[in-house]
Amino acid sequence: MDLVLQLLFTGIGIGAVYALVALGFVLIFRATNVVNFAQGEFSMVAAYLMVVCVELGLPYWLSFVIALAGMALLGVIFNLGVYYPLRHRTYLPVIIATIGASILLSNSVLAIYGPQPQVLQGWFETPGIQLGPVYLDSQYLLIIGVTILLVLFNFWFFEKTLLGKKLQATSQDKEMASLLGISVSTMIMITFIYSAVLGGLAGILVAPVLFVSIQMGSTIALKAFAATIIGGFGDVAGAIVGGLALGVIETFGAAYISVPYKDGFAFLVLIAFLVFRPQGIFGERVAEKA
Amino acid sequence: MKLTRREFSAGLAAGLAAPALMRSAWAQGATIKIGMCVPVTGPAAEQGLWAQNGAKLALAAVNKAGGVLGKQVELVIEDDQTTNPGIVLAFSKLAAQSDIVAFLGSIRSTQVQAMAPDVIKVGKPVMIGGTNPDLTHSGNPWLFRFRPNDNYSGRVIADFGVNTLGKKKWAIVHSTDAFGTAGGKALTEALTKLGAPPVLDQGYANQSQDFTPVVLAVKQSGADVLGTYFTFENDLGIFARQLRQLGVNIPWVGSPSVVAVSSTKLAGPALFGTYGVADFAEDSSDTAKAFGKAYRDAYKTAPDNQSAWPYDAITILSAAINKAGSTDPTKIREAILATQKFAGAEGEYNFDKNGDGLHGYNVVKNDKGKIVYDKHIDFND
Repeated sequence: MDLVLQLLFTGIGIGAVYALVALGFVLIFRATNVVNFAQGEFSMVAAYLMVVCVELGLPYWLSFVIALAGMALLGVIFNLGVYYPLRHRTYLPVIIATIGASILLSNSVLAIYGPQPQVLQGWFETPGIQLGPVYLDSQYLLIIGVTILLVLFNFWFFEKTLLGKKLQATSQDKEMASLLGISVSTMIMITFIYSAVLGGLAGILVAPVLFVSIQMGSTIALKAFAATIIGGFGDVAGAIVGGLALGVIETFGAAYISVPYKDGFAFLVLIAFLVFRPQGIFGERVAEKA
Repeated sequence: MKLTRREFSAGLAAGLAAPALMRSAWAQGATIKIGMCVPVTGPAAEQGLWAQNGAKLALAAVNKAGGVLGKQVELVIEDDQTTNPGIVLAFSKLAAQSDIVAFLGSIRSTQVQAMAPDVIKVGKPVMIGGTNPDLTHSGNPWLFRFRPNDNYSGRVIADFGVNTLGKKKWAIVHSTDAFGTAGGKALTEALTKLGAPPVLDQGYANQSQDFTPVVLAVKQSGADVLGTYFTFENDLGIFARQLRQLGVNIPWVGSPSVVAVSSTKLAGPALFGTYGVADFAEDSSDTAKAFGKAYRDAYKTAPDNQSAWPYDAITILSAAINKAGSTDPTKIREAILATQKFAGAEGEYNFDKNGDGLHGYNVVKNDKGKIVYDKHIDFND
């Protein structure tokens, strides 16, 4: 039983990381109908920004604010440089452009910072607490807490605020939205900014656990992408549930069946969903967009 | 005489080309050239720079002492892009220059494997740092290794844990790539020979974000010592932290990554007190100390195995060409194989018939974040 609890905690912790990145995928997909393959690199860039600020001797909270502001700026640049020029084309050139941007981002960081992984201290002085037989890593506790808060915030933002409703309207039907006087390009700009900040937040939160490296973004993004499909592409709740489920499944699969095939379990679940329920857990709501 | 336009252009071309041709003909005779395939770009670009530093340091010493066969030695560097196709391309570019007498290959086994067929075709000596035992054991007469191969790391880890630490209940954790699988197998074999077969043999896939299942398996196995082969330092760092968090504090003897500078930095206190095998340890011999001092003076940073093996390779290769008295590949090969009891930065070189120069490892310890030399274990077979 102790073993199960310990595995459950780490499973949920790592699942929450996937969920955060998956959320960024979903938001951009809803707004633009393309998958942003540079979403993982957003996490990586934010983590490096954080490392740079902390190394400059800035306080942790200020570094955090600067890193997220930097991500907002990156969201603007990304929108103007990658999405906007291709917005009237089909989805394919846009997707390829995001892949290109992802290669550019990771190699730029490699050129500036070198290949050695970096260390980022966690938010808390204490590494964790022993609760009976289970060890709770403080950074994972923080990640889980932030994920819960973000779920609540997203619900409030998209369902209760005018801006959120405008964003939803844009994602459902751009022509109709612009007829109603909503500036579509502004809404898409806001979506990119929000996604970049979300991706950055995930990167900064996970950096103390997984270290800061060039590959950190792509490894998480791959799982987050799977989580998005499992949850139902285009669904916010689906991304969260998909991410958490994936984290728990791969942790238990590794512990009770096979460690080397840990990643395999995640992708087996993905394949099962693609075959038997391609619309994902919360799939129905995607249909209403059509 | 009337000069036609065609004659004039031909003359002009010849006039322009002559100095260049003459220069190349002159250069051919003036220096001895050694080719070096090294990452200038790609993920290992930084390590590639250290390798060049080591080679250049040795080159300066050789040239200061009069060079080779009375000529100065010149290094021709080609970028291997840290990839397998990259090194094949780099090697073919170098091999096309017929005046290059020998080459330095890669520290990565997979790259050496990729270039090996071309090495046989070219038929000139290539110094390597890759540690996969097969490289020098599959009938390629032109590969010479300047680091101990992985058979020895497994034997040294087992020997140190069983005979020095007195531990017999082993848990082995290794990556499931070529390096980790071969290392885990070598360690299991060595332990079985010493009468202490491992109680747990646990593989993991590279770039795992979480090691909780692995740590719990180690904990449940009841092992009293841990042996590891980790490929990537970030995996090692995550594992080390989770190991300590979940209360596993048994002695730990690992492959070189445990004591690598970057792991020490990433994992911090989680790696304090661990042992690792290292082919280069600055305090292991006078030659290593002298190399360390020269390297620090020249580059203002600490050396490691990335720069130590090219240093030894250039030193021994130059000595061998001098001894051979010619740049004939077969004669150079014989002279390298005849090199015995040669004190290098990595250890004492005693080349065997396969082209392996070193037959043991240093054991070093992480003493509160500082890597200190513990002992050297060598084998005669």
